Amino acid sequence: MKIMQNSGVPIYQQIADQFRADILSGKMKEGEFLPSIRGLARELKISVITTMKAYEMLEAEGLVTAVQGKGFLINAQDNELLREQHLRNVEAALTEAIQSAEIAGLSDKELKDTLNTLLMLKKEEQ
Amino acid sequence: MNTQYIISGNNIRKEFKKFTLDLPELKIPKGYVTALIGENGSGKSTLLNILSGIRMDFKGQVEYFEGINSVDAEGVKERIGFVTPNDYYFPTWTIQQIEELSSLLFENFSREEFVSLLQELDVQTEGFGKKQKKISELSDGNRMKVMLAGVLARKTELLILDEPASPLDPLMREKLCDLIRTYMEDGAGERSVFFSTHNVTDMENVTDYCIIMEDGAIVEEGFVENLKEKYILVKGELDSYEKTIPHLVSATKSSFGFEGLALTEKMDALSGLNLDFETPTLSQMSVGIMRNYSKVV
Repeated sequence: MKIMQNSGVPIYQQIADQFRADILSGKMKEGEFLPSIRGLARELKISVITTMKAYEMLEAEGLVTAVQGKGFLINAQDNELLREQHLRNVEAALTEAIQSAEIAGLSDKELKDTLNTLLMLKKEEQ
Repeated sequence: MNTQYIISGNNIRKEFKKFTLDLPELKIPKGYVTALIGENGSGKSTLLNILSGIRMDFKGQVEYFEGINSVDAEGVKERIGFVTPNDYYFPTWTIQQIEELSSLLFENFSREEFVSLLQELDVQTEGFGKKQKKISELSDGNRMKVMLAGVLARKTELLILDEPASPLDPLMREKLCDLIRTYMEDGAGERSVFFSTHNVTDMENVTDYCIIMEDGAIVEEGFVENLKEKYILVKGELDSYEKTIPHLVSATKSSFGFEGLALTEKMDALSGLNLDFETPTLSQMSVGIMRNYSKVV
């Protein structure tokens, strides 16, 4: 986990973002616990209250549940929600590709051809 | 958040000739690190001396560990570790004598832990039993390290530290923050730390709750993350200064522009004045609030 002190993004937000990504990508799984609040604070050299705020944010989003005396438990993730999240990522990446294509003066056909070529290469690799 | 308090004070009052410490209510949250911030002479050390039991001549009540009404009650001092920049140990003692006396005074003092902490902090411990430096001959920084090792070598539930960062170099200040975080982690929510500091920037990333004092009174307090939402840093060009200043807690002006602190609830009044906004650091917040009360020009 990387924490940027001067990025303008609050530290609690950075922590929440990274755990959210790990949970949604399945890197952290249902039934596992987030690291202990004070343990993470020590490791990342930040205050307990900042860590707590990040965890409370994830709790409010329904990604984790606070278990009295045990910590924050990762919830079962809604598959539909997960797919939606991935779909948004795909759309964002494609939108970026479209913008780059415009700058490079690529026609719609050329852009689609590029995508097809990449898909073909991917298949060949597999 | 359901907060418990490791120390609750009521009507704590101490009058001096030219200065009065007057705290109708004092609450230090349990399980957190609390910083006490304020100008020189604002009453920080007086308060810490009262809480640690060094100063007995004050009015008011202090409750420790939820339900114990005196620092002199049995076992209370055993559960508190106190560090002060003033002479807490006798200046003529050596480190070895401190070790011997600490193990006599405190049942929970571990000699092995003390020696290992001194080594970790790079304080010379060789020559135990031979001629040793007196405490008064150590540098301020090393004297602070010895005192920190002395309290951390005990199993306590509350550390009260008066200006622990001041005599330390930048590397050692970071080490101090690490030591506090480790102390808190080992305590799993049952331990608390209360320290005063002028080095707000160095200590920000270990501070959960902060109390700001001016002229013997608490002028602001809260969990740092909440205060960062309560206040906002405002920057602007000189032409918007006059219109902005009535809405600010305090501000500083240069020939090129100005910078100030505002309550976030004033955002509506500040919109449309061509200003830039930023979340303040604890240090910027403290300075902004202190400037509002300070007599320093």
